Amino acid sequence: MPDDPKEPAGIDDEIAFHVEMQTQRYVAAGLDPAAARERAIQRLGDIERARQLCHRITVQIEMDKETNMERAAWWHGLRQDVIYAWRVMRKAPAFTLTALLTIAMGIGATTAIFSIVNTVLFRGAPYPNANRIGVIWNSYSATGLSQAAVAAAEFADIRDTSQAFDGVAALRPQTSSLSGGCAGGGSPCEPERITAYVVSPNLFDLLGVMPGQGRPFTAADGVTGAPRVVLLSDSLWRRRFGGDAAIVGRTITVGALPRTVIGVMPPGVKFPDAPIGFLRMPADLWIPYGWEQSRTDNRGNQVLGVLARRRSGVSQERAQADLDTIAAGFRQRFPDRYAEADVKWRLKAVPINEQIVGDVRTSLLVLLGAVSVVLLITCANVANLMLARGTVRRRELAVRSALGAARARLVRQLLVETGVLVAAGGALGIALALAAIKGLVALDAGNIPLLELAGLDVTVLMFAVVVTMVTGLLVGVAPAFRHATADPQRALAGADRASGDSSIRNRLRRVLVIAEVTLAVVVLVGAGLLLRSFARMVSVPTGFEPADTVVAQLALPRAQYDSEAKILAFQRDFLDRLSALPGATGASAVYPLPMSGDGWSGTVIVESQPAESGLPEPHAEYSVVMPGYFATLRIPVVEGREFTSADQVGAMRVAIVDDQFARRYWPGESAIGKRVTPFGRLPPGDTRWSTVIGVVGHVRRGGPRIESEPQFYLPALQAPELTLYFVVRTTGGEAPLLSAIRDTVRALDPQLPIARLSSTTALVSRVLARDRFNMLLLSSFGAVALAIAAVGLYGLLAFLVTQRTREIGIRLALGGRPGRVLRGVLGEGLILAAIGLALGCAVAAFAAPALGNLLYAVEPTDPLTYAGIVVVLLAVAGAASYLPARRATRIDAATVLRN
Amino acid sequence: MTDLPSLPQGTLDLLILRTLARGPRHGYGVARWIEETTDDALSIEEGSLYPALYRMERRGWIAATWKKSDLGKAIKVYALTDRGRVELRSRTAEWGHLIAAVDKVLRAR
Repeated sequence: MPDDPKEPAGIDDEIAFHVEMQTQRYVAAGLDPAAARERAIQRLGDIERARQLCHRITVQIEMDKETNMERAAWWHGLRQDVIYAWRVMRKAPAFTLTALLTIAMGIGATTAIFSIVNTVLFRGAPYPNANRIGVIWNSYSATGLSQAAVAAAEFADIRDTSQAFDGVAALRPQTSSLSGGCAGGGSPCEPERITAYVVSPNLFDLLGVMPGQGRPFTAADGVTGAPRVVLLSDSLWRRRFGGDAAIVGRTITVGALPRTVIGVMPPGVKFPDAPIGFLRMPADLWIPYGWEQSRTDNRGNQVLGVLARRRSGVSQERAQADLDTIAAGFRQRFPDRYAEADVKWRLKAVPINEQIVGDVRTSLLVLLGAVSVVLLITCANVANLMLARGTVRRRELAVRSALGAARARLVRQLLVETGVLVAAGGALGIALALAAIKGLVALDAGNIPLLELAGLDVTVLMFAVVVTMVTGLLVGVAPAFRHATADPQRALAGADRASGDSSIRNRLRRVLVIAEVTLAVVVLVGAGLLLRSFARMVSVPTGFEPADTVVAQLALPRAQYDSEAKILAFQRDFLDRLSALPGATGASAVYPLPMSGDGWSGTVIVESQPAESGLPEPHAEYSVVMPGYFATLRIPVVEGREFTSADQVGAMRVAIVDDQFARRYWPGESAIGKRVTPFGRLPPGDTRWSTVIGVVGHVRRGGPRIESEPQFYLPALQAPELTLYFVVRTTGGEAPLLSAIRDTVRALDPQLPIARLSSTTALVSRVLARDRFNMLLLSSFGAVALAIAAVGLYGLLAFLVTQRTREIGIRLALGGRPGRVLRGVLGEGLILAAIGLALGCAVAAFAAPALGNLLYAVEPTDPLTYAGIVVVLLAVAGAASYLPARRATRIDAATVLRN
Repeated sequence: MTDLPSLPQGTLDLLILRTLARGPRHGYGVARWIEETTDDALSIEEGSLYPALYRMERRGWIAATWKKSDLGKAIKVYALTDRGRVELRSRTAEWGHLIAAVDKVLRAR
């Protein structure tokens, strides 16, 4: 019995069959045929309605099938388009590779920079309450640039009397040595320098973070006399204790005091994560202390950083008004302290995100702007490539059109080709972005706050997808419609040369190339201005020569080195050993090292120069140095002599000043023999006056961007310091010296940690790290922009020459001079470049002020920069035009005409 | 026949699915199976089976093939699909819940 008969039956057959079978059954049961049939029909009920319903459903089933088929056909077509696109791409590998890499680079760079901007500017500090937290400063200027620390008494008053805040916390950094606590106890667990913060117990509650393990601080932990406890950062826990799960409850030694570890903060919490004013180093651990307990009437001892969290619903303005009220109270209660302070003095709250990222906002936005411009150039270039490809494929498209392909079909085909290309480029771009982010994080080396948190998250991926889609639109849509509407008859007839359609297209291509050059010039001008600024900064004389020296910071623990004699004995011994190292030609020590980020300054009293009333006392940067310091760093001694080992405790107190100091306080006379002191107004007979014995050159201690004050030096042998930077000059290369220094320290005191051991050049170059980062990034964007624009120009001219092969060949055959042909093509390229150059310079002059304080001693309209860009761009444009121009002169007339 | 209990809404689908779970059948076969297993205790218009079968075919719960009948005529034979089996399982469970719930109310004192 064969299945699936040819003629499928419908509902009528089914019902007929049903009735037939039922009737047979009733007949078999004894009814007569007529009654049986009637009974069978009766059992079926409203058969007409059933029949109609079934017909309707049958029609619906047919319609469903059609829809499904259409959908399947559409998908099948799309799949075919994709496969076809793939084949087309593979047939033109040069075009595909160029377009793909260009798109990938554009999208990758934009995504990478966006990821940084998103992390640093948009997301900000990684604390739940960040947008309600402000940093409170003593501000002494109206502009808000002055951010001085807060005294404990001031903190206590703000904490007790403010209405606007529901939490106020203070913290103070403390560099300490850490030892002990390692698993097993007996294993050699080297002591190290760490950054501790002594914080109000409510700090983390205020920020909104809890320890990842263990317990948080409680108010009781901050009370004097409570058991000594400590919270560790995740990174310290992992680095030093190997992520030991049993760390909580163990005892470690911080700054010679044993403390019990009560918890570990979650990864990423290193508050302050980024420099907040003078709170510069991220924390390794936190020690609780109720700062309000050290309330004294000493309001000058301003050492605390203060955070305050606004009550929810309280605006920044109201919080500031609250602080102003508190400040007014201060003035009233302590007129001596505050009334004489500058009238501009106030307590100022700065939102923590602004505090952390305020500095880098301009540079990040400039970089994002620049990279977006590069992406636009990329789009213009790829669109141009597409147009060129379209011309080459004109015949193919015309043939398909003539063979009956609908216009919509051809448009879709072209869009799919673009889509495949751009999607592949986007995917590659995201991979590039991932690598680029890692590279940027490494390149910056801790200079941009929060940068290490940057990565590919959902926001960034969505951004990349949107950018890819926009790129696809910019690149693909216009060419797709333009090609698909081309007249197939004329195309097939070979009428594309010099046809109206093609001249419109060539105009579009010229406009695109001009736009590329314009945008490239804008980026180049920005890069040029930063390059010039950087050159200016590097050429600023620093006053000392860090090359061929290495530096190491040693901080002697006070518990062990508890007398000046012990301190000096160690330091002298160490210096002797350093001088004896192979290759060493000199060794000395200083605190603070110039450009190290550390700095001291204060009031200096100049003998017999009473300050005029109303004017501040002389203020100067000061340092303590060991004998031979100026020789070791090659700071010139202008007059007198430098310190020797004879200038020690017991001998006459001596000082050295820099030439700025000498000029300002003893104009027209020699500074030698004059007396100064940092110890306030002393009676003339006091022994603490220091006699100036030498004048040295000025040293830029804060780098080129910071104007240094006058400077004076005291001998470390007379004013011993626990912490010194030891500097060794060498002729034998810096690298071998580093390990030699480490060994020397070990030999003297195996427990002593070494900090910042590096070549001095590397250490001081950090002063320019952010400028270098901006300059390098913008320069590479400029280089990429220039390269893409040059490729675009070259591509256009090469294409035009190919298109005009016939015409040029005929001209040459008729006696036209090759020189004229060469000049014609070259001229066309240079004219396009010149138009772009003019437009670009105009836009750049308009946009460059946005660089703001990224510029150093360079105007946004610096003529030299613009002139340089003009020269570079015309040279590159000339080279890009010369190749196709030369090819034009080599066109063989005979070959052309034969074809 | 009007004395017999009529089916609650949607129950017919469940009965058909359950019947076809025993193996492929034509429309008449489905009617006979329901009649026999219930001892003809339900008031079903047998004609209404067909729209129900067509609907389920459209939804993909059952699939139809054509076979030659014993009478030599082409006749549509329905079989449960995988999707139909899933549907049967969930509807059976639903039915169980419904019965249990109604039963609880009825027995409540």
